[in-house]
Amino acid sequence: MEDVISQGLIVGILATGIRLATPFLLAALGEMFTQRSGVYNLGIEGIMLMGAFMGFFVTWRTGNPYLGILVSLVVGALMGLLMGIVSITFKAEQGISGIGLYMFGWGLSGLLFRLYVGAITAIEGLRPLRIPGLSDIPYIGTIFFSHNWLVYLAYILVPITWIVLYKTTWGLKVRAVGTTPEAADTLGVSVDGIRYQCLILGSMLAGLAGAYLTVGQANMYADYITAGRGFIAVALVYFGRWSPLGILAGSLLFSMADSFQLWVQVLGISVPYELAVILPYVITIVALAVSFGRVWAPAALGRPYERGTRG
Amino acid sequence: MKEWKKILTILVAVTFLATLAACGGKPATETKKEGETKQPEKIRIALVLPSTVDDMAWSQSMYEGLKAVQEKLGKDKVEIAVSERLGDAVNAGAAIRQYASQGYDIVIAHGAQYQSVLREIAADFPKTTFAYGTGFQTAPNIFAYDPQAQEGGYLLGILAAKMTKSGIVGIVGPVESGDAIKYNNGFQQGVAAAKPDVKVRIAYTGSFNNIVGAGELAKVHMDAGADILTGSSQQAVGAIRAVAERSGKYWLSTDMDQSSIAPNTVLAAQVYHWEKVVEKMVSLRKQGVLGGQHLMLSFADGTLELKYNPKLADKIPQEAKDAVEKARQQIVSGSLKIELPKEQPKK
Amino acid sequence: MNNQIAKSWFVQVLILLGALAGALLIGAILLILAGSDPIKAYSIMFTGPIGSEFGLTETLVRATPLLLVGLGIVISFRSGILNIGGEGQILMGAITASAVALLLPGWPKVILLPLVLLASCVAGGIWGGIAGWLKARLAVNEILSTVMLNQIALQFYLYLIRGPLIDPQEVAYGTGVPQTAMVPEQVWLTRLVPGMRLHTGFILALILAIVVYIFLWRTTIGYRMRAVGAGPEASRYGGIRVEFYLILAIALAGAFAGLAGAVEVLGVHHRALESLSAGYGFSGIVAALFGRLHPLGTIPAAILLGALILGADMMQRAVNVPAAIVMAIEGLVILFVVSSDLLLRKPELLTRIFTRYISTRIKQTKEAGTGV
Repeated sequence: MEDVISQGLIVGILATGIRLATPFLLAALGEMFTQRSGVYNLGIEGIMLMGAFMGFFVTWRTGNPYLGILVSLVVGALMGLLMGIVSITFKAEQGISGIGLYMFGWGLSGLLFRLYVGAITAIEGLRPLRIPGLSDIPYIGTIFFSHNWLVYLAYILVPITWIVLYKTTWGLKVRAVGTTPEAADTLGVSVDGIRYQCLILGSMLAGLAGAYLTVGQANMYADYITAGRGFIAVALVYFGRWSPLGILAGSLLFSMADSFQLWVQVLGISVPYELAVILPYVITIVALAVSFGRVWAPAALGRPYERGTRG
Repeated sequence: MKEWKKILTILVAVTFLATLAACGGKPATETKKEGETKQPEKIRIALVLPSTVDDMAWSQSMYEGLKAVQEKLGKDKVEIAVSERLGDAVNAGAAIRQYASQGYDIVIAHGAQYQSVLREIAADFPKTTFAYGTGFQTAPNIFAYDPQAQEGGYLLGILAAKMTKSGIVGIVGPVESGDAIKYNNGFQQGVAAAKPDVKVRIAYTGSFNNIVGAGELAKVHMDAGADILTGSSQQAVGAIRAVAERSGKYWLSTDMDQSSIAPNTVLAAQVYHWEKVVEKMVSLRKQGVLGGQHLMLSFADGTLELKYNPKLADKIPQEAKDAVEKARQQIVSGSLKIELPKEQPKK
Repeated sequence: MNNQIAKSWFVQVLILLGALAGALLIGAILLILAGSDPIKAYSIMFTGPIGSEFGLTETLVRATPLLLVGLGIVISFRSGILNIGGEGQILMGAITASAVALLLPGWPKVILLPLVLLASCVAGGIWGGIAGWLKARLAVNEILSTVMLNQIALQFYLYLIRGPLIDPQEVAYGTGVPQTAMVPEQVWLTRLVPGMRLHTGFILALILAIVVYIFLWRTTIGYRMRAVGAGPEASRYGGIRVEFYLILAIALAGAFAGLAGAVEVLGVHHRALESLSAGYGFSGIVAALFGRLHPLGTIPAAILLGALILGADMMQRAVNVPAAIVMAIEGLVILFVVSSDLLLRKPELLTRIFTRYISTRIKQTKEAGTGV
């Protein structure tokens, strides 16, 4: 424990935490749009797995991670379309269709991996992108500017999604469809149309989050590489109370706690390591419990829209 | 009330229709039985795995061992069947019983968690040989196999101590149990024996399959100064890949030779020669011994082996190799025994 | 006009079979990709679970925890709360059952067995109740808390079975396998068929399904819980303590999941071990929703789901395809069946689609006929 309170440790914890938050941020920001429009997609995990596999597969075949990321976006959109057909057009109970999508995504990604890859293989993923000037600032450079561009993109998406959600007509429609679909419908907004758009956008971001795991973080693929991250991303949307800033706070809190426990374990602890491993989960619950925020949710969340009925 | 009655009727009707459909097709399992009686010398081995045949660790090493046996004895002499992703004992139990009732001669349930379920099934199939590991409890028709992972851990620990420049080595642990405890413990003893001032840092992800998490843990180990890393279970591949990103950092493998995913990073590996274990079971069975033995995998009988990565052989100083070789011979001759603490470590 | 025909059970069976066929058709493409014969594969998938005593009993072995978890889901869902914390609650129930049984080895069955089952209900109930309390008092959404609590329970469980509760023999022999010692024999649930794993836990689950039905539809508490689920605001005006019933609902869901964990330990494994739950916390939700959120509907739903899981598993072994395909086909079946729900609820849509399709076809033929 000799170097516990050194600057290096703090820089290390923060830099690791920034990196760890990326997949949660991407997937949760996407899920935020989906839920804002009134659909909740519990199948994020399955979409992330498909995105992770396709991102890996295309990168492995072509050597081009950018192409891999592009394909993961397309696959995410397709999975979102599937979820939309089931949950919007067929008005299925969303909790259960999400579980179905999760199992389908896990099974399909595992099957494709076995059939077309066959063995665990390493790929050359994204390299850290140094930003001239910024990356050279002591401490700050290491913490914030020593990552690959997908990490930067995830953080840039926070203000962008905020503007889209609150300052554009489309964002207004999304919020209207999620709270008072009847009113939105009366005003000529296509409720199901907006929901499809949000679900597909959200699923694309989930696919991207999956691709980040394989192309940006692990540089390889193996069965069930997400290991539950998709479910945590969904949980973080609730933590962030459907706002980009809240989701940023939640993702950072969870990931910083995770990073902290990894560093503390490495430097030596005298308690069962399980206590360290559960730290991020406990902190997230406690933080939300003591924050006493206002209780609010998109009013039509989880309720398929049927014209002429009062839901 | 009305609604559920309707649903009930539908579900019953569907079951009924499915039963009708069932009468049409004859189960393929029965035809297999007939084929078996025609070729009595053929040995049929079934394998039940907790993860997949391509996990590059525990499951894959056994699968490849089994395939090697098939290769050696001839494809017409050995038939193998594999069932994967059966981590839970309920579904594994069904698989094991099904294989046994289909007349497989040897059913290998490759995990410690299958012990209870195996004991139950084995009683009903006294002519079938069952095997599982890691474990020690046997029955007249159950083999328990038990890799002495601490032996290879000890040797790799010596190598790590001799190779580290920073004086820090890191262990990326899964869940502190079974094979991982033995390996980690042996590794720590090996480091301490070679260079007591080298620090061994140990941390766990709390999971066997958190590949990304293992990679991140390895990165933290390296950021904190470790330059030689090791770890067991199928998540280790994630850590290896992370180590491969940094120059001057090396990985020591266990379970199987994992150098194919990072040829410039994996220095050496403790390799489990499952084919020798399987062969032993096959020959014991031919002699009429169906089980009852606690099969240890060890350096003494060659079922464990230390394998250097030929690509990196020149990176390892001769003095280090000599020290490892000396310890290996002591372990083989029995003059050095790597004892494990009988108390459960509290950390 | 056609509504009468459309609502008949025959049409509904056709809809359900159609959904199943759709899922299996896509599954067949996957099977062909994996290089196997889909007809052979499916014939095993359907005959396996019902074709033998072994298949039938194993189906019910799986249906038991699915039904128990599903009953809890019915209660919580009817009260307006979705419990996805089943996995964690199962583990808490399982470890508590093992611990109590191991602590009191000499006690007679008539006292020990009810005590063990009750303890597991309490443990699962508390674990679920935490999520309910967090939601009711501190506005922590239950999806967030249960996702987190699942992980916390898993780590706690692993700690106990590798640490304080580990089988002493595992330490003595140095194998260190994470599992508790065998629980005393008097608490083992009786096996119903010789040589098979089916145990009295299944009968217990059947009885509880009736109990839950009576509870929800024949008692005041049950009525209030359903009222809270139907409209929390209206219930509040009606003088119902909404918060209390929310906590109660998820605590009961937790208790049922905890009981499922105990039944798995006492009926199947006889000890707590690694990866005890085969995803029952999630598939239990599917069972409840396939059963139309009705306790008695959940019985056939759990059995069918158990047969699907077992059958897909047997198919994988028989035609030797990657195990991942099992998960993919199960997911497809869920997606298709849940989609067909709309047609089951409103079969008149089917006639509407049908008439529209026919009328366009007629139009097209007419146009083709006139040669325009």
